[in-house]
Amino acid sequence: MSLRRVLALPGWAAHVRLLAGAAGLDRPLATVQATLDASRAPEAGELTVVVRPVAGTDWRIDALLRRCADAGATAVLLPAAAPLTASRLLADRLAVPLLGTDASPLDLLVEARLLLAAPELDRADLLLATHRALGDRLRPPEEVVAVLRRLLRSPVAVLDDRGVPLAGEVTGRVRLDEPVPQRTELDDGVLVAHPVLLQRPALWLAAELRGTEAARADVVPPALAVAAGVLQRWLLANRLELERDARSRTALLGDLLRLDTEPGADLRRRVADAGWRLGGWHVGLHIGAPAAVDTVARTQDVVRALRAEDVEAVVVEHGDGWTGWVTFDHEPTAARVRSLATRLQAAHRTLRLGAHMGVGRPHARPDGLAATVAEARDAARLAATRPETGHFLHVDQLGMAQLLLEWTRTDTFEPAARALIAPLLDAPGDLVRTLAAYLDAESSLAETATVLGVHRNTVAARVARISQLLGVDLSRPDERLALHLASRAVTLE
Amino acid sequence: MRITAGDVAALERGVALLGSGGGGDTVTAAVLLRRLTEGGREPEVSAIGELAPDARVVPVGVVGATAAFTEKLPGGDEFAAAVAAVERWTGERADALMSIEIGGLNGLLPLVVAEQLGLAYADADLSGRGLPRLDQFSVAATGRGIAPAALAEPGGQVVVLAAGSDAVIERGTRAFLAGSGGWAAFALAPLPAGELAACAVPGTTSGALALGRRVLAAGESPGRAALEAALAGSVLARGRVLEVTRHVGPGQHGSPGFGRGSVTLADHRDGALLRLEMENEYLLALRDGAPVASTPDVLSVLDHRTGVPVSCDAIRAGVEVDVVRLAAAPFWTDPRWLPVVRPRAYGIDCDPVGLP
Repeated sequence: MSLRRVLALPGWAAHVRLLAGAAGLDRPLATVQATLDASRAPEAGELTVVVRPVAGTDWRIDALLRRCADAGATAVLLPAAAPLTASRLLADRLAVPLLGTDASPLDLLVEARLLLAAPELDRADLLLATHRALGDRLRPPEEVVAVLRRLLRSPVAVLDDRGVPLAGEVTGRVRLDEPVPQRTELDDGVLVAHPVLLQRPALWLAAELRGTEAARADVVPPALAVAAGVLQRWLLANRLELERDARSRTALLGDLLRLDTEPGADLRRRVADAGWRLGGWHVGLHIGAPAAVDTVARTQDVVRALRAEDVEAVVVEHGDGWTGWVTFDHEPTAARVRSLATRLQAAHRTLRLGAHMGVGRPHARPDGLAATVAEARDAARLAATRPETGHFLHVDQLGMAQLLLEWTRTDTFEPAARALIAPLLDAPGDLVRTLAAYLDAESSLAETATVLGVHRNTVAARVARISQLLGVDLSRPDERLALHLASRAVTLE
Repeated sequence: MRITAGDVAALERGVALLGSGGGGDTVTAAVLLRRLTEGGREPEVSAIGELAPDARVVPVGVVGATAAFTEKLPGGDEFAAAVAAVERWTGERADALMSIEIGGLNGLLPLVVAEQLGLAYADADLSGRGLPRLDQFSVAATGRGIAPAALAEPGGQVVVLAAGSDAVIERGTRAFLAGSGGWAAFALAPLPAGELAACAVPGTTSGALALGRRVLAAGESPGRAALEAALAGSVLARGRVLEVTRHVGPGQHGSPGFGRGSVTLADHRDGALLRLEMENEYLLALRDGAPVASTPDVLSVLDHRTGVPVSCDAIRAGVEVDVVRLAAAPFWTDPRWLPVVRPRAYGIDCDPVGLP
């Protein structure tokens, strides 16, 4: 509220004159106070109305102007007085508007007070109406939008954290990176928005006030805040249900994957309650997601995407993303598996979470479920480093050997391999190539010597050095396998 | 200490400053004093400790419209008549005189009277500055009372106000003056010199002389710092008078009050508006609306070019002036006596400003 607005009131416009201090007309106005004499100590934002006649020569007019300036008060209204030039000059100097009137100052005060109170009354009315309409019940976004649209007589929408409407429709844009109540000027109105916060804005509530409704831009935000609170409760309740559900499903999956005997009656019962099947043939799948993705909240998106491709899969939040499987009554044909993989790949493309997806081979029975899920997780891990396949891998297309070799190309394997071989890299002699050739030749010194074109004794000496430098026993199969893969990874570059 | 012909100018400047814009025009009194001293008669001013403790000291002065004093010159017998009246009433002989008010013409005239009457002169007064009312005298403030008081006007009437409260004496004096020539010589009952320390402001004649000497030594149009040093006071503003207004103040007992008014000037240094509220004296100074000085401190307005104090009667818009503040006599900062001269004693609803 500004002093200019008050001066435009009918009573004020007709009876109040600005005597001096025009430079202060845009001072903010918060309150209008009456005083019997000029010795009052005004507050910030106060328009002081002197209601008892005061002589224009009274020095206390000057003192009051000064106290107004010091306190950040807005203006002084004098009744029926002709202040001295000195007072007018002072009002100009301090930029405190000095007003004079011949009308009743109390009437003017009442008129100004009503104007000041009007936005407050409107705001209070709207708040009460919003409370009454939304009540204590949990309300989904559609109902909140309907209530607000009726109360505000304006378009209202609930937007998700990407600005896409979940309910309702507005044309203005919300600044999604500023999680505070917002006000944006539009061509013919105002867009007001309020974030629905969990840890960060999960939803936005936005209303578009156009035409005459734009004048209520100061009145609406508290109502939006109340409605945002309702949506927050709804989100929290939903979330609680999802979390509880996700936790029990994850636990059940864990129990299944750890199974090494036939499942007991109790476990079978829990599986049946979850609507899963243990019999038949299973094809596992795993979707890995970046750490920032809220997997519990997104599960429904994943299920929807799969269903859209006509894949009826069980999906469980698991590890870095989701683990799932499709169950067939009989052993699926190669064509059916290929078709399933194609549809899974399509679903993966529509998800756009920055996720990677792996698909296992068909396996039968509960123990087969664990196997295909394990294959799918391995494939997903590989897919993460394979942009050329769209971060999608199906174990069937690879064959297990290739899958194993793929390991040597991963980001994690390479540094490990390099570290394992490192002592050989700095030593004289072609030790890495010698090691690779020796293992390729199944530990035949003669064969190795032929491949490398050196003397047999040289190879023997090098193998002894290698064994000594690495501190390994080349007759042990595990160590041979690790070194074989590592030397391949390093020499393949 | 003797007042010589060479001292008159300095003493006149000193008492004019202490008049705080009131106290009456000093010109006539200065002419009388100058003629006396140039004739070789140099009044002896005695510190109150130099007088015998039981010496009778009669406070004298001019009361009423000091402007009328200049228009309607004294016949020469008024003071002798007033002193004689109070002597007869109290049955005590006057050994010495003192001034009722150091500020203005009463700072000079009693010296002339003492010399003419052949009496000693005490270095003290009852005001320490310019004051408008009899009931503000130090003898009134300390509860000693001002009755009996004798008045002798140029037309020959002599009146003794024998008894009554200080307010009654004040009122009676005003009524008498309104019905006579407008001013009168005034004498109070003799005070024993040994009691003056408790009921008067001591050392004011010598103080006024010293002040006047310092200010004259500073020359015409002194710089701000030089002026402040000479005054042992502060310059509140230096600028051109923008507005002077006068109106009749609130009266009492059905009679009109003293004239009130205000003077506003813009400080050349920063454009600040300095407003002085005045009655017979300058009483309150506001700088941009904030009180910065008030009675009992002495507020004086000096003509910027000549340094001559400008009285409340004489100030006009357009004059270049310095507004200065001199510290009040210590007597008035005593919390027991302060209520008599604080702004509220003049109907100005403001606490005293700038007291130590």
